[in-house]
Amino acid sequence: MGRYLLFRLGRTVLAAWGILSIIFLLTRWAATDIGLQTLQDAPTLGRGLSVGEQTRIAQQVRQRYGLDLPVFYLSVLTSDTDTPAWHPHWHWNGTRNQYHRWLRGVVQGDLGNSYREGTPVTKLLLQALRYTLPLTVSATFLATISTVLLASWVNYYNRWRGLVLAILHGIQALPLFLVALGLLLLLANPDALNWFPAFGLGDDTEQYSSWSEELLQYLRHLVLPVFSLLLVALPGFVVQLDGAMQQELREPYVATARAKGAPPVQVVRKHVLHNALLPVLPLFTELLPSMVTGSVVVEMVYALPGMGRLFVEAAAQQDLPVLLGVVLLVAIARLASQLLADALYQWADPRIRLHI
Amino acid sequence: MTRRLSFAQWLAVSWLLLVVVSACIAPTSSPVPDLLHTQEPPFQDPHWLGTDPLGHDVLQLLLAGARTTLLISIPTAVLASLLGGAAGSVAGFWGNSTYQVQRASAAAGVIGAVIALLFIPQLRTNPFPVGLVIGVLSCTVYYALRRTSWGQRQIAVPIDSMVQALIALLDSIPLLLLVLAIAAVQRPSSMGLVVLLVLTCWTTPARLLRAVTLRTKALLFVEAAVVAGLPTLRILRYHIWPNTWPVLLIRLPLSIAIIIGLETTLSFLGIGLAPEVASWGRLLASIRVAPAAWWLLVWPGAAIFFTILSLHTLVSTKITGFDKHLDVTK
Repeated sequence: MGRYLLFRLGRTVLAAWGILSIIFLLTRWAATDIGLQTLQDAPTLGRGLSVGEQTRIAQQVRQRYGLDLPVFYLSVLTSDTDTPAWHPHWHWNGTRNQYHRWLRGVVQGDLGNSYREGTPVTKLLLQALRYTLPLTVSATFLATISTVLLASWVNYYNRWRGLVLAILHGIQALPLFLVALGLLLLLANPDALNWFPAFGLGDDTEQYSSWSEELLQYLRHLVLPVFSLLLVALPGFVVQLDGAMQQELREPYVATARAKGAPPVQVVRKHVLHNALLPVLPLFTELLPSMVTGSVVVEMVYALPGMGRLFVEAAAQQDLPVLLGVVLLVAIARLASQLLADALYQWADPRIRLHI
Repeated sequence: MTRRLSFAQWLAVSWLLLVVVSACIAPTSSPVPDLLHTQEPPFQDPHWLGTDPLGHDVLQLLLAGARTTLLISIPTAVLASLLGGAAGSVAGFWGNSTYQVQRASAAAGVIGAVIALLFIPQLRTNPFPVGLVIGVLSCTVYYALRRTSWGQRQIAVPIDSMVQALIALLDSIPLLLLVLAIAAVQRPSSMGLVVLLVLTCWTTPARLLRAVTLRTKALLFVEAAVVAGLPTLRILRYHIWPNTWPVLLIRLPLSIAIIIGLETTLSFLGIGLAPEVASWGRLLASIRVAPAAWWLLVWPGAAIFFTILSLHTLVSTKITGFDKHLDVTK
């Protein structure tokens, strides 16, 4: 078990390192000029400078962010007049390159500074997590509970099953951004129903008389984002769990339980559910990463200053350190949930022995 | 395999036909905004579905968006299925030890590849002579090594592990984030977006076909074909492929639906397609400027909803005809 987890950990870390490196190199090679454009537009650089001064300042900014270094260990020589044609046109840059610095920083927990704001990326990420973490964790929690409840319910009250599954089938055809937009315009719109606040997570400047009121306000802001995440995640999970339960209901042990006089609700809850959960367990551990992905869309729609918004803004303005930081964080979340899935498997069914 | 379509399927097929027809009749030039009627509510004479805040006719934008959606999603889904299907079949059929090559040809290939990598700049400037030299060099290596006993031994190529590693690489980050990150920096054209989506979406068909191929490979008639000494490609083509390709076909509407969802999300976030390309997602994004304009949400939203629902309907009903134990929706 320990060996298996270690193997799994190593493999996933390797995969995450690979994909992050690919994204790093792709973005750096493609965006050296555009990224610099963002730097030059930064408010620290005044307008009305001469061309010479501008290039000098651009050079300084490049140096500060380490953009004057070559991107990778190897680079292609551009001046091919002084090298013979049979000579490989590669130049070895040693460890003085952007990739090496970035990797060393990541290992030491330093993700560099944002191009746009100049603040460390880790600080920005921590700030954003204050909003994203409650959103995604509560959505995950609620989705898990409501999936289990709904699936057990439709398996007990069989005549609602067709209707509920049909509705879920319909919801499944709605992309997340459509659900979020629809809820926003229906329930948080002065022209329609103005039940919930449309954006943000409460005003910090506003003074509340008590902490309970503040909490209530906070929860009111969180309702619609969490609900849209929940609504989109629910159909797939309920359908899967329902399928597993339908299969379990045909097993002989269900007949035994019924024959010895257990009430149908107890049969579903105590006997069937436990066995049906096992095949869908990996799905549940994928829930948190998919919620984080969903928060990209939800935070854009509801204007929450969370990680997803940070990601999209960084993407739009080519703020590469922030972009990579968010991707790294999501990769870590996924890694953790995969390991959790393995541990949960062992816990749920001790017969399973995982080995390489 | 001919099956009668149910009522829901008829509805789905006719909606999809409607989308295809509207994509065909959509105006090719970008429509001229009607600046006198901006943000006009629907059901009025010139603009039956209303106008957006810039004065574009919503109906025209919807039609043009249908074409964009089809032109992106169908090629992407087909190409990703083919690429993933090929990778999955090969990985499932050959596994890690079945595909063997002579050490001589492996060495020649590796040497050729290394030299080609070293001389990429020269290969780029004049590909023909440099390529010829590299080819001759690796052929020489092959013929020199072929005589030796070292070169004649076989080594196995771990194709399965290689494909699995690639899949693990792409799956370590959620698809939406991966595509967003790359699309944001590369700013792809429509063609580039298709390539990007194909290169990131092929993993699910690959995993699916690998599983099906593994199951088919264990059947007796394949073993009989192997024992009879048929060439491998022939076994793949005539014995394995006819039993596995229906899985890809069943999955195709679902792939298209996933890619439509992805593409509209990208356009909604303002990343991906160029601003002048009409898209359902972009039309929906304009509602953030005008929150009172419900028609900007309802029409494109309904278009996306019915298209994806139709595609799902085609999948979920067709699946009964084939292998019931296989879940293509995973």
